[in-house]
Amino acid sequence: MGLFYCSGIFILEHYLPSFLRPNISFKMGAYGHLHSRIKEVNDFKNVDILFLGSSHTYRGFDTRIFSKNGYHTFNLGSSSQTPLQTNILLNRYLNQLAPKLIVYEVYPGTFMSDGVESSLDLLSNDKNDLDSFKMAFKTKNIKVLNTFIYASIRDMLNLNTNYTEQNNKGVDTYIPGGYVEKEISYYTPKFIDKSEIVLRDNQLDNFEENIQKINNKNIDLMLVYAPISKSKYKSFNNKNHFDSLMHEHGKYYNFNEILSLNDSLHFYDSHHLNQKGVKKFNKKLIEILQNESQL
Amino acid sequence: MIFNSLDFGIFLPIVFILYWFVFQKHLKAQNALIALASYLFYGWWDWRFLSLIIFSSVIDYVIGLRLQKTDLKHQRKLLLWTSVFVNLGFLGFFKYFNFFIDNFVEAFSFFGYQIPNTSLNIILPVGISFYTFQTLSYTIDVYRKQLKPTKDFIAFTAFVSFFPQLVAGPIERATNLLPQFYKKREFDYANAVLGMRQILWGLFKKVVIADNCARLANEIFNNSADYGGTTLILGALMFTFQIYGDFSGYSDIAIGTSRLFGFKLMKNFAFPYFSRDIAEFWRRWHISLSTWFRDYLYIPLGGSRGGTVMKVRNTFIIFVVSGFWHGANWTFIVWGALNAIYFLPLLLRNKNRVHTGEIAENRLFPSFIELKGMLVTFSLTVLAWVFFRAENISHAVQYLYDLFLGIGSYKNIFITYNLLKDFNLTLLLILILFVCVEWFGRKQEFALEKMNRISGRPFRWLAYFSIILIIGIFMPTEETPFIYFQF
Repeated sequence: MGLFYCSGIFILEHYLPSFLRPNISFKMGAYGHLHSRIKEVNDFKNVDILFLGSSHTYRGFDTRIFSKNGYHTFNLGSSSQTPLQTNILLNRYLNQLAPKLIVYEVYPGTFMSDGVESSLDLLSNDKNDLDSFKMAFKTKNIKVLNTFIYASIRDMLNLNTNYTEQNNKGVDTYIPGGYVEKEISYYTPKFIDKSEIVLRDNQLDNFEENIQKINNKNIDLMLVYAPISKSKYKSFNNKNHFDSLMHEHGKYYNFNEILSLNDSLHFYDSHHLNQKGVKKFNKKLIEILQNESQL
Repeated sequence: MIFNSLDFGIFLPIVFILYWFVFQKHLKAQNALIALASYLFYGWWDWRFLSLIIFSSVIDYVIGLRLQKTDLKHQRKLLLWTSVFVNLGFLGFFKYFNFFIDNFVEAFSFFGYQIPNTSLNIILPVGISFYTFQTLSYTIDVYRKQLKPTKDFIAFTAFVSFFPQLVAGPIERATNLLPQFYKKREFDYANAVLGMRQILWGLFKKVVIADNCARLANEIFNNSADYGGTTLILGALMFTFQIYGDFSGYSDIAIGTSRLFGFKLMKNFAFPYFSRDIAEFWRRWHISLSTWFRDYLYIPLGGSRGGTVMKVRNTFIIFVVSGFWHGANWTFIVWGALNAIYFLPLLLRNKNRVHTGEIAENRLFPSFIELKGMLVTFSLTVLAWVFFRAENISHAVQYLYDLFLGIGSYKNIFITYNLLKDFNLTLLLILILFVCVEWFGRKQEFALEKMNRISGRPFRWLAYFSIILIIGIFMPTEETPFIYFQF
């Protein structure tokens, strides 16, 4: 029966249009350039800094700026990456990258997320192994499970080898080292309804596991809350609770309190920096790294 | 624990293995296992409310034994009323307390008296309406001397808490279910296969039909002011399929699961949307509740004996009480009353038992008259469901007003089409397939019951596989509880 089901999933995804199979979502080379990043990561070893986190990471830490300042870095961010996916990426690439410092970007939204979007991204663009199965099982989501089945069959049949992701996709350009630069655009601030930060227990557990894993390897760790627009930042009611929780887990830097940016000038939407914002943010982070002799 | 959860997917095989492979030689041990598993199943939701089930079980067990020991009429009545008072007392408090308080306060304020509202923050225990009626049936049957009281406390607790039907029925009669706990059960492969097939079909109805229709129905009902005629019709239709798929799906899973353990539960749905009149609909919809009210309320009130006034009164009582059983909201009462109004013309013309046979008997398709009857009955039912689904009476009235007012608008047809497209047009294809399968299986206990008789093994396995695949491909990605849990 299992074999039948797996074959059915493969055939449906392969031959039917997406509206006839809503619970399978395999998108190789999807938004966020994870495919290129994973392809490139094998060329990187012994980096100074490894960046981990969501789109705030791959759109927020420009590896070129760090390179100019003498840091050998790799950006392993991915779309909506939650601690569950970070866990898998650490298992796969931490030993090889052997970073001196990990900058772990923390954003309340990723702790509130079920991790489905990011799981689908990872399943479609990285290899699939026992960790992927565990992730599919942990998300308790049929779409993730089906996509895992399909992606695993593709891996087995070597169907992904010929695919090459374009560096330029629309307004996005992939920069070697994992960063994605977006064509400059600006955010028009809007009022955002107030909301409560409600963290998921399972994401917190995964987060703690990640911290433990990093500490066990004696790697320096910086937890970074990357800048978001003031309108978005102010919309969270219980910011202090999140801050104090992060402080409990390591050196924590909330750049929304450290750096003063302008919503209209430095962001392209309510929670993503544009290139001008990235430059300011990265400059400040490098200053901190140098002042506090993190490396 | 809900049937469409991973937890239940793990729980069921474990209990099944223990039941047939560890405790198969000891009837009492099997019953004890069922009772414990049932408590675990219920406690998974909120263990605190287990005390209510245990308390009800103890009270009715003791009252049953006392009833056996006395023939004095007043003592027997006292015992019966104690059970009724305790069971309905719990139900009344947890389910209806706030409703009565709120209405009481509103009624007083209408006449100019302001009294403070003392509504309580009460959690409604899942399934309380179901197991309360089940235990009551035991005491009433013992009181009527239709059933011997049991001395086997374990069998009795297993009967009250039997997990497949504990939280949403079918509401079993003690006369049917309790004796099954006294008899040794033998594993019957064919019956287990039938059970699995019924579970599969129930799961399909729940997660593919009900849950997908729910997404669209919720969107339309929650924003009904933004939509017009055809979209509102679509919303009502979606809820009509949602509630059928949800509730009959639950019943199928419950009956199928019981078969796996060697029990036979009563049929709860008999393809109600193919009914030719509203009387037939009520003989086919939620049969265990309708017959419960018939036996324990309608007949004691005099039933259809007596004059026209008596008949009308009893009909209204049974429909309104049935509506109120569903929830503490005026919408359910109006839904019940509306069905009574639908039913009345048939009753008064003595035509309420015209359609007792099969639909399209010995024919593949219905006759024109049958089709007309089915369409009219279905349309009436769809309209009544609007009251069942709406937040309050004014919401339902506004919904129906907008529905009829905008029925001819072309603009609405495009809006409806786009909405349907956004949600996935495939749902329509699946619904058509579903109605066809139900139609061709309408003479069976459930649509897939006799699949093995009409086809060879490869076809059968292909059908199972296709259903599983459709479930995997179309089930919504988040667990959705069954609607009837709230009742």
